[in-house]
Amino acid sequence: MRSRAFKGVGVALAIGVFAFVSFHLFAGPHVIGYERFHSDQPSAVGGGILFSELGCANCHSESPVATPRKGPNLVDLKQRIDHDWISSFLKNPEVGRPGSTMPKMVHGLSNEEVESIIAFLGTKGKGIKFSNGRHANAERGSALYHEKGCVACHVPTTDFHSPHGSPKLAGFDLAIAHPDLKKKTSLEALNYFLSAPARYRPDGRMPHITLDRQEVMDIAAHLMDFQGSDPTEANPVEAWPSADALVIGKGKDLVQKMNCAACHEIPGEKAKEVVKLPGKVFSDDLHCLSDEPVDGLPFYDLTNAQRKSLKLYLKSRGSDEGKKVSTTLAAMNCYACHERDGIGGPTDASDPWFIGDEGLADSGRLPPPLTGMGFKLKREWLEGVLIGKAENRVRPYMKTQMPAYPHQAAILAELLEEADAKDAGFSVSHSPEVLEAGRKLLGTQGGVSCITCHTWGGQPSLGIQTLDISSLDQRLRPEWFQQYLLNPAAYRPGTLMPPLWPGGKSTVPGVLGGKTDQQIAAIWAFIEKGQGLPEGFPDRSGGQFELVPKDRPIVQRTFFKRTGSKAILVGFPGEIHIAYDGLDAYPSLVWRGRFFDAYNTWFSRMAPFETPLSEDVFEFPEPESKGRFRGYRLDASGNPIFLLQVDGRDLEESFSVADAKLYRTISWTEGPKPLVTHPKGVDVAEKAKKNTLTFIYSWK
Amino acid sequence: MEVKRLLLALAVFSSTSAEETPPYRIVELLSASSPSDSRSKEWKPGDGIPMEVSGMAWIGDTLAVAIRKGEVWMIDNALSEDREKIGYRLFASGLHEPLGLTLDGKDLLVSQRAEITRLQDNDGDGTADAYLTECDGWNVSGNYHAYAYGPERDGKGNLWVSLNLGMGPLTNNSIGWRGWGGIIGKDGKFAPKSFGMRSPCGLGANREGDMFFSDQQGTWIPTTPIYHLRPGVFYGNQESLGTLKALDTPFQMSSIPKPNQPYPKALQSCPEFVPPAVWLPYNKMGRSATDIQVIDQDGKFGPFDGQLLVGEFTNSSVNRVFLEKVDGEYQGACFPFLKDFPAAVIRLSFAPDGSLFVGMTNRGWSSLGNRSYGLHRVVPSGVTPFAIQEMRAKPDGFELRFTEPVDPDSITKAGALEMSSYTYEYSKRYGSAEILTKPHELSGIEVSEDGLQVRFRVKALRPLYVHELRTKGVRSSRGRSLDHPDAFYTLNRVPR
Repeated sequence: MRSRAFKGVGVALAIGVFAFVSFHLFAGPHVIGYERFHSDQPSAVGGGILFSELGCANCHSESPVATPRKGPNLVDLKQRIDHDWISSFLKNPEVGRPGSTMPKMVHGLSNEEVESIIAFLGTKGKGIKFSNGRHANAERGSALYHEKGCVACHVPTTDFHSPHGSPKLAGFDLAIAHPDLKKKTSLEALNYFLSAPARYRPDGRMPHITLDRQEVMDIAAHLMDFQGSDPTEANPVEAWPSADALVIGKGKDLVQKMNCAACHEIPGEKAKEVVKLPGKVFSDDLHCLSDEPVDGLPFYDLTNAQRKSLKLYLKSRGSDEGKKVSTTLAAMNCYACHERDGIGGPTDASDPWFIGDEGLADSGRLPPPLTGMGFKLKREWLEGVLIGKAENRVRPYMKTQMPAYPHQAAILAELLEEADAKDAGFSVSHSPEVLEAGRKLLGTQGGVSCITCHTWGGQPSLGIQTLDISSLDQRLRPEWFQQYLLNPAAYRPGTLMPPLWPGGKSTVPGVLGGKTDQQIAAIWAFIEKGQGLPEGFPDRSGGQFELVPKDRPIVQRTFFKRTGSKAILVGFPGEIHIAYDGLDAYPSLVWRGRFFDAYNTWFSRMAPFETPLSEDVFEFPEPESKGRFRGYRLDASGNPIFLLQVDGRDLEESFSVADAKLYRTISWTEGPKPLVTHPKGVDVAEKAKKNTLTFIYSWK
Repeated sequence: MEVKRLLLALAVFSSTSAEETPPYRIVELLSASSPSDSRSKEWKPGDGIPMEVSGMAWIGDTLAVAIRKGEVWMIDNALSEDREKIGYRLFASGLHEPLGLTLDGKDLLVSQRAEITRLQDNDGDGTADAYLTECDGWNVSGNYHAYAYGPERDGKGNLWVSLNLGMGPLTNNSIGWRGWGGIIGKDGKFAPKSFGMRSPCGLGANREGDMFFSDQQGTWIPTTPIYHLRPGVFYGNQESLGTLKALDTPFQMSSIPKPNQPYPKALQSCPEFVPPAVWLPYNKMGRSATDIQVIDQDGKFGPFDGQLLVGEFTNSSVNRVFLEKVDGEYQGACFPFLKDFPAAVIRLSFAPDGSLFVGMTNRGWSSLGNRSYGLHRVVPSGVTPFAIQEMRAKPDGFELRFTEPVDPDSITKAGALEMSSYTYEYSKRYGSAEILTKPHELSGIEVSEDGLQVRFRVKALRPLYVHELRTKGVRSSRGRSLDHPDAFYTLNRVPR
């Protein structure tokens, strides 16, 4: 389904310092939803997407897409857009913005006439008061641009290096290329635009980015290649040439004559009446679709396939109601991130840029499929997601962030609900017995252990940390919940979630008579109305897993901060303890006071790097010659004697504690005495015998 | 500590009639006394042994058990029917998540996250006083998922170790032999042999001494596989391809198989890329395989000598695998076997008396068992289950061997045997659905004179596909129904 509709290849033109913007040369106007799914074979469905996305429906009223396509609002241009850029864009939109869907309108007009149009448009708007803040960080902006999801639709920039390596532009041949932003606009104007794109682009094709003000500014700085740190130092848009009233009046006449207001909001201007489409039988001589510009009509430099598709659509229109969802999702490019019914989802090229918790495999980084989404989510919740409500974001582990569609949210939510929602019959009781059963089932003490993987309110789960289920009743439809639990992979291919009622049968016969539907309903009921926590969260108030050396030393291996992934802790009676580095074979830390809490080392799946139970910690410097650790023996009192090889010979290094002092003895059988380092802030006394050195560490 | 011993005549074989003695009884030695024990609010260290079994080895009648907390316990008189006579001694402690245990002379070899350790009791007081580094040399980034398993001994005396891939924060699978299997080298360094593993939680040799390992469904692994472990091959997971850049990499790939294509096609694109001897289809056979234990009990554990038992984590069960060699390569069939254990099965070990010890832990993942850990014993009663004992590939179909004579009418009637075949998608995704599924036409069902063998022909066998056999209403001549009606044969090669 990938398009080959390029004139040549996607060409990355390095233009001076502005090396990172790539310019594609597209054949014809570029509509991703068409090029990705319909360009191989002309089709009515593909033509319908073009009919919407080229703005045809704005003059001709009918659209197969639920969310109307509009051009940008033509206000505040003087402060936002460079005058000469508009001029050249109007004359040749394809050069101003590669792949632009703006048709050529000004063919047949003189330079003066074009200038008058711009002059008239320049009078529109009440003026913007920019507020830029005081910081801009293009480097951070680059990371955000690449990691938060911009590259789902847009071309990555070649100067960014991620864990996945440099982006491969070749795979992004369908992505939306930026215009030469430095020529087109200014940092403050781009920042202003990005902070609420719908202000000027109400059709949602450029959605709101759900980031904070500083992050938006950083992205703008990245896109403008702004090297400074104070955005007020960036140049504003150059002042436009002045124009007299006569010129402006001439421009107004032309704007009305060309019906610019059909696509664009222009204060004070109204669109002309709808131009009726011909019937389903028409001559091939359709003026808007001709391959040569016709004066007074928009000219789209269409490819033959695009033209054919449009004609097929015009012949078949009205008969494609069933395609409204897929056509709309293609037009809005939802498919860039989401798959629905086997269509769409990230491309091979964009896939690596979806970043999240790899511990959850693809479901930790890829946006959820939209298959059956209107059955899965409650409409209000879905609308909230589309509006961009922060509280509707439930996957904190995903870096890619769902953008917002403030003007389309209600339409899209309704569209999906109409397409998907079904009443599967689900009844739930909230009796005390049912609530208690739900609590038990969610927990690990005789339940199905949901909290092993799912967080609950503020409580981390016991294993992997996946999405919070304490409030899922607010977002999910209970019918979907019920069916999902019976076979998760059918609803989310690639999920780590196993079916906990395999074959529909309960594995917990003792709860609610082992009846699957009642058990699932009870879980729902508890989530909805239950009090307290599911059973099985450990008491982390501390204390019961603290290791306290009493008669003998305690040896415990663990992951330990500074010491590393092969730390051997030795806690001595006498409140002096060490951490020995088993990778490089030297003592790494000594501390006084309490020893160690072993909970995570003993029982946590996540095995975090631990720290001493004390602030009174002293670091040994790294030795010059690293040793090879060969294990340890315990003497009769349980003190460890570490065995190591340094520079090819065997050494032994033992530790013990007495009278608030740490004794460290190093012995060897041949050769000179080894070099030994000591921690700062500790007094060292030394005793030497043949082939043995003893260091006594004490504290004032 | 609560040491219970219940005789659980659970539904090991669902179809066994109530009057008949079940072929296997499950005896509880020790399990979490509350469903979550070490995670319960009331539980404290010292309240009992958190028996999250991660390794087992026998020293006479004493069972040495490694537990994930980091200890090795000696269970004396483990075979005693009198629970008062079973004793628990702490032998070693302070270890870092051991996941394997093997006897080596008088010593024990135990895996830890960063090394294999030799445990010795030199002063004879019954506790280890030397913890010697036997083998190290792999990367331990601190990622929780980067486990180390083994060692397990093959027929030549090699001690095999397998290294999990990391997953999630701190993961670095590009260095230090993550995703590799190898042996303990003479210099005490891990000697890598083959790679492309994901979560190779179980190792075990068959009677011929060849080593096998299990992997688990996940990224790049469409469903649980059992592989023949040997040098110079690639098992499919590409997350550790970076390790090929190491100077001492033992071999290189002639090509890297492309993802997002059917598994058989991907296999054919790369000579080092090998199929598993057996696929265990997802859900039908479980979800995450663990330990491998050969049955070699002179028939005391049923007529399954030479077959492999495979632990199953999520389903808290034990599966059975029959292998044969075709053109010098292992392939074969898997069958469900024992179920209804109270927690995820992770380790299996045969006792000297031919009973099977089953070690369990639920930690970090959930299982159908609703206790968090345990150690159970499976004692054969001498009654043989009516089962498909073997399933062999033939040039034009398959041959089944049953544990007792089959009623010819029940198996030759229409619809008694059905077969379909399928494969998986080779992709980095977490698991794959069954794809390219096709039903097969069966014909020529013939029952041998003794009633033990059944031969049938299958049209258009598909090399490298799983061939799923479903039986319906098949009975033994005594009228027993099959313990498990289905079998899954991984037909890598069609015999000539």
